[in-house]
Amino acid sequence: MMSVVKRYGDIVAVDHLDLDVEYGEVFGLLGPNGSGKTTIMKMILGLVKPDAGSIDVLGIKAEDDPVAVKRQVGYVPESPRLYEFLTGLEYLDFVGDIYGMNVSEKKARIEEYLEALELEGREGDMISSYSQGMKQKIALISALMHKPRLLLLDDPLSGLDPKSARIVKNLLSKLAAQGVTTIMSTHILEIAQAMCNRIAIIYEGRLLALGNMSELRQKARLPGSDLEDIFLKLTGTEDVREVVEALLK
Amino acid sequence: MNWKNVLLLISIGVKSGRLTRGQRLRRYRERKVFQYLMYGGACVLGVLIGLVAGIFYTGVTDPVMKTLFYQGASYLFLSLPTLILTYSLVFTMMGQIQRMGVRASVQPPYWLPLTWGEHTLASTLANLIGVPLASLILFGSAIALVSVYLGVVPLAFFTILAMIASAFLASATTEILRILQVRFIGAVYKSAGKAAVWVRFLGSLLFLVTFYIVWFTLSSGTSIIVLIEAVAGVQQAVWFIPYIWLGLALAAFMSGLPPQTAIFSLASLLFILVLFYAAVKLNTRFGLYEPPAITVSRGAYIPKVGFLGKLGFSSLEAAVLRKDFRAFTRRRELMYIFVMPLAFILMPLMQYAGMLGMPVAPEASPLLLAWVILAPGIITGVFLGLMIIGQEGGSVWIHFSSPITARSLVRCKYVFVTVFSCIVTLACSITGILLAHPSPALVMVLLIESMLLIFALGAVSLRAGIKGADFTEVPRPRMFKQIPALINLLLCLITALAILSPLIPYAVTMMNLPFPVLLPKVAIYVAVPISAVAALVIIFVFYKMAVKNAEDFLIRAEL
Repeated sequence: MMSVVKRYGDIVAVDHLDLDVEYGEVFGLLGPNGSGKTTIMKMILGLVKPDAGSIDVLGIKAEDDPVAVKRQVGYVPESPRLYEFLTGLEYLDFVGDIYGMNVSEKKARIEEYLEALELEGREGDMISSYSQGMKQKIALISALMHKPRLLLLDDPLSGLDPKSARIVKNLLSKLAAQGVTTIMSTHILEIAQAMCNRIAIIYEGRLLALGNMSELRQKARLPGSDLEDIFLKLTGTEDVREVVEALLK
Repeated sequence: MNWKNVLLLISIGVKSGRLTRGQRLRRYRERKVFQYLMYGGACVLGVLIGLVAGIFYTGVTDPVMKTLFYQGASYLFLSLPTLILTYSLVFTMMGQIQRMGVRASVQPPYWLPLTWGEHTLASTLANLIGVPLASLILFGSAIALVSVYLGVVPLAFFTILAMIASAFLASATTEILRILQVRFIGAVYKSAGKAAVWVRFLGSLLFLVTFYIVWFTLSSGTSIIVLIEAVAGVQQAVWFIPYIWLGLALAAFMSGLPPQTAIFSLASLLFILVLFYAAVKLNTRFGLYEPPAITVSRGAYIPKVGFLGKLGFSSLEAAVLRKDFRAFTRRRELMYIFVMPLAFILMPLMQYAGMLGMPVAPEASPLLLAWVILAPGIITGVFLGLMIIGQEGGSVWIHFSSPITARSLVRCKYVFVTVFSCIVTLACSITGILLAHPSPALVMVLLIESMLLIFALGAVSLRAGIKGADFTEVPRPRMFKQIPALINLLLCLITALAILSPLIPYAVTMMNLPFPVLLPKVAIYVAVPISAVAALVIIFVFYKMAVKNAEDFLIRAEL
């Protein structure tokens, strides 16, 4: 991603951003609400056209051939809206067909994932009756089942029960070892700290800091601190105590 | 009962109803002028009607005519409570139908300090706001004024009270039916198991068709007069039906029978209280009831090698087609597309059967037959084309993030639109042929033209549907933007006229006009191919444009 700019009217969502994500890396995108994380993900997927700069995804220019990029990407948006009139099984079958998976592979993968994420027994129910966590599991399966080379996950563990969250975390680590790249955003900083090889902190569309935990600590001049302290210091939102005291009055 | 809460809930209910109808609200508090414009208009219209009727009555000198007019007015007064009840029932039910596909909840948040009694009263009254209240004002102001000329002011006052009570009765009944419907549907889904999807589909269609039949009957000019006469005449015979008691109280008042007037009035009041109590109790018990999940399949997953694949569709296109078919049979707000053609042929069928005044001999009206064969499929095609992209709603990200090309997207959507509309045309054609016994040549021409129009207008509307897709889902799915949709309808009209132009002289001949119209006619075996060429050119141009628009649509998915 080279010198990428995206504007929505007067608002600069992404401001001259340079990012380089390695193959097999779990890369974290962190930032307060409205900092431009989702826009960055959408631009990587070719869903949003940058106003300036260029994005290269797995050797393909996202602008030139978005369909080729999409074939190799698994995407989970922040709050995935699924086809609620389909059953979980029908939805996954639909996604498998969209990615051109062959019948036996599709069947095997759907069954494996449904069992792993404990959706067995509810796969024949309409998605409209699923809880938020179950919908998130279906969205994750649909992003993973076609063996993508790049995963774009916008807050992927939101709503998941602890066991499923652990399964997904371990799965992403194993996939990274197999060369699958993951770009994820989350507001749960412990998850980012535990899972990501490198983290980019974005604020108002600009890159504030980039690196692994020790590099971020150095940048924030907070040796030995955790990601939450680093994040709050870098984004200038550390004065939470005053806010809480004002609210308690 | 906290009346302030009731008033606040009514204002929320009114706003939610207006949002459901697609009106935009910018501020919570709005300009009162616009808010009350409809009611003001109804009042002015009512006063005018009353004034004209009153002046007419005063001007009549013939005593027989005067008596007839007086008798007619009395009949109207007598039947008004029952008529208002019927109309309010239809309109409040209509309001409920409009909310079928609404995502935004209109229930008061159950964690707020509100009672079910307050909610039920507010909901019952809010249901009446809009057309039912405007009709009340219209009739009320008209009869109030005419009663001065007729010298029956006390009767008019009593009639107005009875009308208000009738409207409340209707709305309370709708409230009860709404709660019971949710509970009943839940029970049906549970017992229907895997068949629940089809039970829901057929049940919704049956309900809507019945509703349309009632609506067409009530809105037909001749039927309303028959209804007034019938209501006034049979009220006495069906005295045991509580809904009639208000009319009976009025009849007793008119005949100067105070004991009966008091009995039926009190009984009506009691009945209203019982209905309201029942609605509160039902809301308390089932107000937050969630219907059980619909289980479509159980057991192991068996992927099917589809029939669509054998027809040459890629797995991606077949998946989208299958998904769309399921959407239209499972999503309530999309089931309208099945009802639309039914509504279009219901009118002619009811006309043939004499349900809307004098029966029409099927053979006597080839234009009615042309309507039955052409209209339902074509109109379905136009609306399907417009809504097929926008109906994806918030789930459209699945298309945006999937490796679907613009060409594939347009191909599968176009196939869905045209195949669906052709099936509708075939079904309606069979009905038309069975009813009207037309000549094979006429049927052939009409069928060819309807197919040409479906394919051409389908392409025109699909292009507009891509360009003007609206993915807003709250409070209800919009599917397409209004202005592009209106422009598309105009474009479809022009396109249809262009395709049908070689056949217009034949249509004019079929009309049997009382004056001669001389239009140059070409032989039918020449006119139909000319029409086909025009259609093919339109299909080619608009299909290409649709693909181009889909390319932009998939790239600029800035949702």
